Amino acid sequence: MMQLEQFNYDNKIVRDFGIATIVWGLVGMSVGLLIALQLVWPVFNFELQYTTFGRIRPVHTNAVIFAFVGNAIFMGVYYSMQRVLKTRMFSDALSKIHFWGWQIIILAAAITLPLGFTSSHEYAELEWPIDIAVVLIWVVFGINMFGTIVKRRERHMYVAVWFYIATFVTIAVLYIVNSFQIPVSAFKSYYIYAGVQDALVQWWYGHNAVAFFLTTPFLGMMYYFLPKMANRPIYSYKLSILHFWSLIFIYIWAGPHHLLYTSLPDWVQSLGVVFSIMLIAPSWGGMINGLLTLRGAWDKVRTDPTLKFMVVALTAYGMATFEGPMLSLKQVNAIAHFTDWIVAHVHVGALGWNGFMTFAILYWLIPRIYKTKLYSVKWASIHFWVGTLGILFYAIPMYWAAVVQGLMWKEFTPEGTLAYPNFLATTLEILPMHMMRAVGGALYLAGVILMTVNLVKTMRKGTLQANEPAEAPALEPLKVIERSKHRRLERKPALFMVISLIVILIGGIVEMMPTFMISSNVPTIASVKPYTALELQGRDLYIKEGCVNCHTQTVRPFRSETARYGEYSKAGEFVYDHPFLWGSKRTGPDLHRIGGKYPNKWHFDHMLDPTITSPGSIMPAYPWLMTQTIDIASTKSKMNALRIVGVPYTDEEVNSSEEDLKRQAQAIADDLATQGTTIRPDAEIIAMIAYLQRLGTDIKN
Amino acid sequence: MFKQITSLGGNEWYLITSLWIFLVFFIVVGIMLYTMRKEHVDYMGNIPLNDENQEEEKAKEDNE
Repeated sequence: MMQLEQFNYDNKIVRDFGIATIVWGLVGMSVGLLIALQLVWPVFNFELQYTTFGRIRPVHTNAVIFAFVGNAIFMGVYYSMQRVLKTRMFSDALSKIHFWGWQIIILAAAITLPLGFTSSHEYAELEWPIDIAVVLIWVVFGINMFGTIVKRRERHMYVAVWFYIATFVTIAVLYIVNSFQIPVSAFKSYYIYAGVQDALVQWWYGHNAVAFFLTTPFLGMMYYFLPKMANRPIYSYKLSILHFWSLIFIYIWAGPHHLLYTSLPDWVQSLGVVFSIMLIAPSWGGMINGLLTLRGAWDKVRTDPTLKFMVVALTAYGMATFEGPMLSLKQVNAIAHFTDWIVAHVHVGALGWNGFMTFAILYWLIPRIYKTKLYSVKWASIHFWVGTLGILFYAIPMYWAAVVQGLMWKEFTPEGTLAYPNFLATTLEILPMHMMRAVGGALYLAGVILMTVNLVKTMRKGTLQANEPAEAPALEPLKVIERSKHRRLERKPALFMVISLIVILIGGIVEMMPTFMISSNVPTIASVKPYTALELQGRDLYIKEGCVNCHTQTVRPFRSETARYGEYSKAGEFVYDHPFLWGSKRTGPDLHRIGGKYPNKWHFDHMLDPTITSPGSIMPAYPWLMTQTIDIASTKSKMNALRIVGVPYTDEEVNSSEEDLKRQAQAIADDLATQGTTIRPDAEIIAMIAYLQRLGTDIKN
Repeated sequence: MFKQITSLGGNEWYLITSLWIFLVFFIVVGIMLYTMRKEHVDYMGNIPLNDENQEEEKAKEDNE
């Protein structure tokens, strides 16, 4: 006879992560609304360097991804894992360290990003000390998770747990590989990769952050919470196995679809395309498995807001995972990439899939751990409709804007010149769509505020059952040999992790190793030289101000782009770019061939107030660049750090860097003086101008 | 349309190898699924529904 063991589930940690989810969700979405307004009315940049679009767009993305969604993941994982493994979390202390450590990291991000401390890699902007903290806290989470798995009372790990394991191991690999940096100072570092290779690593990371942070943990949560909400088992357990392994295997290859038509080797781009298309199958396998779980329970969907949220979440997942492969077709990508289409795509996923599933889980879980009923089911239903309208008002105008702008960029007159040679004309055309997008965002945020009130009132009504009693028989030693291989795997967490690791490493290795090892993949160009000391400082200011959030630096080999910008970009031009700054969105024009296009004075005026040179421009003004001083003392250490990662600065160049910098700066200041502008040669604007004037000019020599 | 994946200038090797790896992988998972016992599959699928305490059940019914 098996002995029943008594134990408690830890609900307090679930509640804490739940509250953090709500708080950071409100913060992240409010910042999102603010930057949406900035893209219509630049006055919302407040002429402050800490609140410009370039600096706070990463605050929005990081807050929503790592703070809102991150805390939601931990809430869902801590709740469901205890229950499917029939045990309390491994260590309450580790749970607490995990919780507070994660919140402190978020706070550190919220402070450092507006200050301009950024590595510029999208969704990995945090500087190296915070990176280390992220890894440490992630390891704490991992130990707590595996400790829980080890002391489980359920022999086999349910599918949700596999997704959590894959999430843990893959995010660890991605984050570490994409964060190899040489520190220069406490909050400045250079990536060890450059140019094309840096781009490949970043988008391998960027795409799989979507896969393994925004997707796999949520699929795990779907596999637990959806059966609970519908009160019936998942449609097909076998499908979940196929879904799991094929999803984690294929996803990892798809990163290069973010770099189509760039100077990334063609064969890597093709791999990205092929695997992106294959990705439809496992993604839809998951969606179908979720939706069919509701078979026979559709009557509940009519009345239960949590199920309504789940249905829209799954539908949004299905739409986004169909759209993704379509966008990775080169012909579609040629028009859609760098436009608002990508923004719409990502928001269908974030608002629909992640947001709505998070809300469903919050509405389901908070009343349960507070031993009460939801304060108002009607309010939750209103939230559902307001949120759904918000998503539509967000996405549809953005698709519209994308098609309008993408086609305008490519349109030629019958005489063979660009129909819209002034980039700004294409931006102004879509401002009404941006206004509607802000309305959509505001609606969505309003729904979240309503949810917050509803949940706070629910919490007030009930009492938190911090320790929920449960009982289960102890796990006895296994006496039979299990026939099915997968069944054996389901009770071996360490082996499961290792196999998952191997599966996710294959794609990355096949794509990266040849790009790094075979020199013909990145043909060098003799005339391309490292940046001068002043240009290097200017480049770091470009990074600090987050220019990459609106401007790309890669001209694609299309007639419409070479006519607008100049010669298309070559891999060899980026070999000293630590990091690469190709960007992913053209709110403003590409800047790779900006060097020498305009006089110094034009750049000065443009940065002082963009509307001087470009009436109607929505770019923020950068008056502080005229008054702040270049950090000349850091030049040598920056050049030395770059030497370690392979930039061939000579001893002489490093030793004379400060004099060289001052000489070049003086020349620019003198030139500006001849145009009637007096400015100190050590003002930041001088370095910025030097960098911009250097961009893309080496191949002309 | 398929030129982008058929003419790779001697780099087809990567593509074909990757596709083979995936195909083999898919077949192995398929065989594994085919050989799984039905009772186990049913048991595993029901795990989320087997974790409730009586009190929880009651709370849920109250909510409905």
